[in-house]
Amino acid sequence: MAHIRKAILTPRITVNRAAMTDKLISKNDIGDFLKALSAKYTVVAPMERGDAPAEFAELAPGDQPVLDGSKPMMTPKDYLLPRYEVLVKIDTSEGATKVETPLPEGKPRVMLGVWLPDAQAIRVLDRVFLERNFVDPYYARRRENLIVVAVIPAEMRWSWFCGSVDDVEEWKRNVDAVMYDLGESFYFEPVSEKGAALVEDAFFADPSESDTARKNELWEQFKKTGLLPFAGKPLYENLAWDDPIWDEIAAKCIGCGLCSYMCPSCSCFDIQDETRGACVERYRCRDTCQFEDFTLMGAGHNPRSQQVPRSRQRLLHKFRYQHEQFGVVGCTGCGRCVELCPVNVDIRDVLTRTCSKEMEHKAEI
Amino acid sequence: MSETQDRIQEEAKKALEIGEVTLVIGWGAGSVPFKTTPVFIDKPEDVEKLVWNPACANNLAVYLPKLARDRKVGVVAKPCDIRSIITLIREKQIKRENVFVIGLGCAGVIDATDLEGANVRLRDVTSLEWTDDGLKVTTESGAVTVPPAGCLRDQCLVCDKRTPAISDVTLGEAVGRLEGLSIDIPGLSEDRKAYWAEQFSRCIRCYACRQVCPGCYCESCFCDRVEPKWTAKKATADEAWMFHATRAMHLAGRCIGCGECERVCPVGIPVVELARELNAIAKERYGFDPGDADEEKPLLGSYTEGDLDPAHHSE
Amino acid sequence: MAEQTTTLEAATEESASEPREWQPSILAILCNWCSYAGADLAGSTRLHYPETVRIVRVPCSGRADPMFVLKGFQKGFDGVMVLGCHPGDCHYAKGNYYARRRIALTQDLLKLLGIPPERFHFEWVSASEGNRFAALIKEFTEQVKALGPFEGVAR
Repeated sequence: MAHIRKAILTPRITVNRAAMTDKLISKNDIGDFLKALSAKYTVVAPMERGDAPAEFAELAPGDQPVLDGSKPMMTPKDYLLPRYEVLVKIDTSEGATKVETPLPEGKPRVMLGVWLPDAQAIRVLDRVFLERNFVDPYYARRRENLIVVAVIPAEMRWSWFCGSVDDVEEWKRNVDAVMYDLGESFYFEPVSEKGAALVEDAFFADPSESDTARKNELWEQFKKTGLLPFAGKPLYENLAWDDPIWDEIAAKCIGCGLCSYMCPSCSCFDIQDETRGACVERYRCRDTCQFEDFTLMGAGHNPRSQQVPRSRQRLLHKFRYQHEQFGVVGCTGCGRCVELCPVNVDIRDVLTRTCSKEMEHKAEI
Repeated sequence: MSETQDRIQEEAKKALEIGEVTLVIGWGAGSVPFKTTPVFIDKPEDVEKLVWNPACANNLAVYLPKLARDRKVGVVAKPCDIRSIITLIREKQIKRENVFVIGLGCAGVIDATDLEGANVRLRDVTSLEWTDDGLKVTTESGAVTVPPAGCLRDQCLVCDKRTPAISDVTLGEAVGRLEGLSIDIPGLSEDRKAYWAEQFSRCIRCYACRQVCPGCYCESCFCDRVEPKWTAKKATADEAWMFHATRAMHLAGRCIGCGECERVCPVGIPVVELARELNAIAKERYGFDPGDADEEKPLLGSYTEGDLDPAHHSE
Repeated sequence: MAEQTTTLEAATEESASEPREWQPSILAILCNWCSYAGADLAGSTRLHYPETVRIVRVPCSGRADPMFVLKGFQKGFDGVMVLGCHPGDCHYAKGNYYARRRIALTQDLLKLLGIPPERFHFEWVSASEGNRFAALIKEFTEQVKALGPFEGVAR
């Protein structure tokens, strides 16, 4: 699996950008473009589901996905790391033991309509599942030939704060192409060779100067969205173990798993075995450090049996430990936890407060 | 509304100053103008954090079993929250004398996500307030009034219990239920099995619905049992069915229909619906209303000889 | 009527040559003092009833948790039954009175979920009603058979 790891984590070859030209595609041509893409790739894009957020799915002919990033959606992790995934099936019902490991197909895939914070979160997942001497084969198979096309929507989501947690110009380098919603058309900006290869002359035209200006405007808007006092600060330095803010959060946190389950980069999972007759199924499912029994040991000890350690763990992990261990900021500012937390625990406020305290404290010294 | 907010702060301050309570649970300003957040006030000077506005959706009774166990605690409560308190008292999770209820007359609360459907740019909102015509949403570029039907939390659309059933202090004005509003659940009446199969296929088992519910105070939930494993952790439709069906059963005679569970669901499942329907049946058949302070015993913890006998009789 | 087969080999051969007819799987939750004893009586008096039933014994029908019924359907049983002592005859005096409300609401919940009510059966069967127990199982088996295999709770 080392070759897969290398292929994904090797810094993108700096391609001569002049050789890759930006293009424009009318929204009227998207249907035909998808059809052409589907001949060469499995196309994965967000499909609407009524009141529920859109969800990434492999497109069937005729499907009309949400490509403009305008609707709330589930994260790419639900595709790369399904909520329920069978790892091993063992069947002893007919004498001989049959063992099956249903690995996903390693087919070429294109993921479209991905919010840029979610695309960056895929890089965070890569650190966990492809690095550190163990490559998760199930994740790797879906990831290895995946082309990621990010989208910058016409209107930025109110809860996004991407520019505050990281340098988003870097994020652009980690995707294969970026599409910008210009209203009647999408501006298509290839970043990698794979992204450039998606361009089909039949549907793509050259953008005008005003198109390019509008696209640059959108990009600036995105960079400025949710810029908060802690932008550019080394967040991992400022979260202290004994900060009283953990008590405040723990007082109101009701201990559900919504933040971690909806987060594009949270990836904790549980592995369970289920027996039915002479068959055993070993599967992977989601788990969260926010559940009381997450750290419950077999002998009954639970180091995080109280809410304070759990609340603290989530934020320290996201902003400190992941940086220390993997060199990435675990949070990519997608804002889902901000929008969805039942009790309005707002991670942006937590960071603003902890960072400003540190700044004050440093000023005093 | 701001007058009521001032009165809430006054009452909370008084209760803390004279030592009636050592803590007041209420709503505080959220991180954005269209949300609020639970606050826990233990000093009289902090009462100015308490707010009362259309975004005060959280059912604060959920915090009482832990916080009001051994001491008297004040809680700012809407009529639905108070029905939860009544249920908790009946089930002996809290004592009446350990709660100082600052009860409120209510006009309903909103579900902020509905505002996006009303073409309000959430990032521009500066304040919310109820007026005679509906919800006045003030933004940076002006104000727009959203009709109640377009922003009320679903259960508030049909709520007719707008005044506190019990309280130590009652503040604010109740606004009567608006005529002609109903909750529309497309697809439910046609094929119930298929409807719920589709809904449960979306469930991600985050348990936000369970955690936000004051009725779900069990320290050991059936979902967390491993032996026997009543419902597996995997987020498949049939396991989610088992979770929601059992939870609805566990809420029979206990759900007071606040609808917090469905407000917090990240995937839009109308979680309250099963428990609500079951409780409507219980009300009709047994005359039992969990929000009735005169009911002394829980529904399933009592019986009468005249109860409907559900036995089938074979030939 | 077919000739009675007397040897095991012959019986096996016979059943192998005919297509096996689908038989439903039924979960039956029986209270120890009445309905389980009634089932026992059916057995000790050699009354024949279909082998479709999987019996789970509980001390009292008041112990029959609605969760057992729901779990039965989720696991794929085609039919579920709960049997208890006649009202007034409960070994624990009141258990079956509590069961009435609980089971009635379970039936309501199943209806709300779109599970056909004919797949669930609730009945009072006493310890002396061996005949009635056997007849009841036969009848319920036929009833469930007519509905066909249960397709699962979330389909």
